[in-house]
Amino acid sequence: MRKKNSIMGMAFFGPALVLLTLFLFLPMLLTLGFSFTDYFALNPELTHFKGLENYVNIFKDELFVRSFFNTVKFVLIIVPLQCGGALLLAMAINHAAHCKKYFKVAFFVPVVMSLAVVSTLWMQIYSPEGILNTLLGNLGISAQPFIHSASQALPSIAIMSVWQGVGYQMIIFLGGLQNISPALYEAAEMDHASSWKKFKDITLPELKPLCVFVFITVTIGAFRMLVQPMVMTGGGPDHSTYTIVYDIYETGTVNWEMGLASTMAIVFTIFVVVLTIIQNLLTKEKEGNHADKKAKAH
Amino acid sequence: MKKRLLCLTTLFLLLGSLAGCQKKEIRPGDVEGFDQGEAYLSIWVHSIEDTEEGQAYKESVESFNEAYDGQYFADIEFIPRNDSGGGYSDKINASVMAGGLPDVLTVDGPNVAAYAANGIIQPLAELTKEEQSVYLPSILEQGTYDDRLYALGVMESSVGMYYNKALIEEAGIQIPEPGNPWTWTEFLEILEELKPFMEERNGYPLDMTFPVGEASIYYYAPFVWSNGGDLVSGDGLTVEGYFNAPENVAAMEYFRTIVERGYMSQAPIDKLFESGRAAFKFDGAWEVNTIYNSYPDIDLGVAPYVVGDNWKGERYTPTGSWAFAASSGTKNIEGATELVKWMSGVESGIRIWEMSKTFPSTYEAFANIEVFQTDENYKALYDQLSSYGHPRPKTPVYPQVSTSFQEVLESAALGGKDAQAEMDKSVERINAKLERYTRK
Repeated sequence: MRKKNSIMGMAFFGPALVLLTLFLFLPMLLTLGFSFTDYFALNPELTHFKGLENYVNIFKDELFVRSFFNTVKFVLIIVPLQCGGALLLAMAINHAAHCKKYFKVAFFVPVVMSLAVVSTLWMQIYSPEGILNTLLGNLGISAQPFIHSASQALPSIAIMSVWQGVGYQMIIFLGGLQNISPALYEAAEMDHASSWKKFKDITLPELKPLCVFVFITVTIGAFRMLVQPMVMTGGGPDHSTYTIVYDIYETGTVNWEMGLASTMAIVFTIFVVVLTIIQNLLTKEKEGNHADKKAKAH
Repeated sequence: MKKRLLCLTTLFLLLGSLAGCQKKEIRPGDVEGFDQGEAYLSIWVHSIEDTEEGQAYKESVESFNEAYDGQYFADIEFIPRNDSGGGYSDKINASVMAGGLPDVLTVDGPNVAAYAANGIIQPLAELTKEEQSVYLPSILEQGTYDDRLYALGVMESSVGMYYNKALIEEAGIQIPEPGNPWTWTEFLEILEELKPFMEERNGYPLDMTFPVGEASIYYYAPFVWSNGGDLVSGDGLTVEGYFNAPENVAAMEYFRTIVERGYMSQAPIDKLFESGRAAFKFDGAWEVNTIYNSYPDIDLGVAPYVVGDNWKGERYTPTGSWAFAASSGTKNIEGATELVKWMSGVESGIRIWEMSKTFPSTYEAFANIEVFQTDENYKALYDQLSSYGHPRPKTPVYPQVSTSFQEVLESAALGGKDAQAEMDKSVERINAKLERYTRK
């Protein structure tokens, strides 16, 4: 019986394993291998082993460092706005008396739209004579350059990304909110708790596991920022929206420097993995505290 | 034990099926029209079969097969590319590594040097003087690397300095004759004169942007060339003293002046010229067709491209497009050269114009297309191309040169940073890419 099971299991699992090996694990290993070489796409025969030279060089490369900090800036703007925004929207919809479905769909629509389409759309919105500037003009505020200025381009794109992505996390939070037992709120009401207290002591702790999930996925998503700057600004003006993934793409496919691009990809991966582990540790600890508290209260 | 066996069998089965994807020898009869006694020639093109351009290539290949029936058989494969060249170039890169390059492939003009330097394409079989004289000089120049001819294109291109006739006439400005273009100083005076006039119309004298991508170097490198500058050395392996030369710094400062004095909008405004709110615009030759078809209210003219103050009649205007080349993988260089000649020849040139409104690359094709005789704007663009066309820099690190040029425009001309310092920085970055070719 057991043998039969394992054969059956293998039959289902085998193809997936082979495909994953061929198209995921093997490329990952190759990338790691290439990262120590000067592999050049146009002339693979002339590949030399360079040891850690690439790793030293990319940190000396002003552009890579710049793209790194740009990416961090994107993350710092997007993560709080998108997580907080999603929670706010979810609570608003949860409380809404009418048209719940309508708002749910309205906020979710951008998520299903292609990023390239959304970016093109927002280029019109942000354009010097676009809707936003016309609105500002009516309010007596002078026209803003938005994506055409080195100082405003990054926040402009970040805000657009939040608008595009927030619906997805909102749906997750909404599901979480509907799972909180109404009894908890009823009990709080009997104690005359303020709505802030209810939010802080019931809603947030109950949503904690979801918060962790949303927090981590949004962070990783924000780190992978590529399409929006590619479509809207081409990484400009003056490299202000040039991200790491964009740099990897340009180095590897436009300039054919596969070796160098692999090094960047490895460094990027290590960074994101380390960050995720840290996030996990931090949030887990708090969750532990929360469980302790609960136990004590009981 | 059995488990392991099963696992291995599955693996081998899958690997086997993947290996089956590899290119196999094509024999007569495998492809329709490929007959016994003919030499098989594969050709890759960078477009989609359903587009006008793709159809034009297809028809050219069909007519080649007719003309060389019994001798050669060409088989065309369409490989789509995205705007920045991905897709098609990915396929080429993969084939360089894994083998399976076709006999003939298309390559973008500025990439000829990189492909040649890395042995992806090989020099064409010798062309006679007569055969060469068919082509515009800019096409031969574009396809030559290290004094050998590698590629011939069916398409040429040009950029026009367009003007709005109604506005220019109303402002009382005289457009100079071809061959006697405005110099930088003269053009600044014209812009100054036009500024209040255009402000009344809620516009700018000049509809100009420095977009990311190939357009910036394509449109604005002429300012460098006509000022006696160059972007790379003759062999394409040195940029220090070229890219950051004083002539080029002066060109960047000239653009800065245009931005600073408000002759153009800092942030690009959509359809400024097309809506009659700008007097001048630099754009590709396709703009003529766009204006004729979509903005019939605009009375369009083509002015000679502006030149540096010390211009002495050198070639300087934009040119270049995709071309056909023989890959290093072909064993039949004679046949591949015949195919390249046919694909870029007069008949194919006329076809590419008729189907996709792209400029052809031979004198005879231009002579046979009526509109280049009758329409003053097309004629002006053709005259500019044949008399003053200058290919883009020929260097194996072209992509970095192109990116750097645009970056300097953005940071120095738009952003107001020091042009010399920005260009020195670019030189450093380009040098890092050049190292691969210079260390040897």
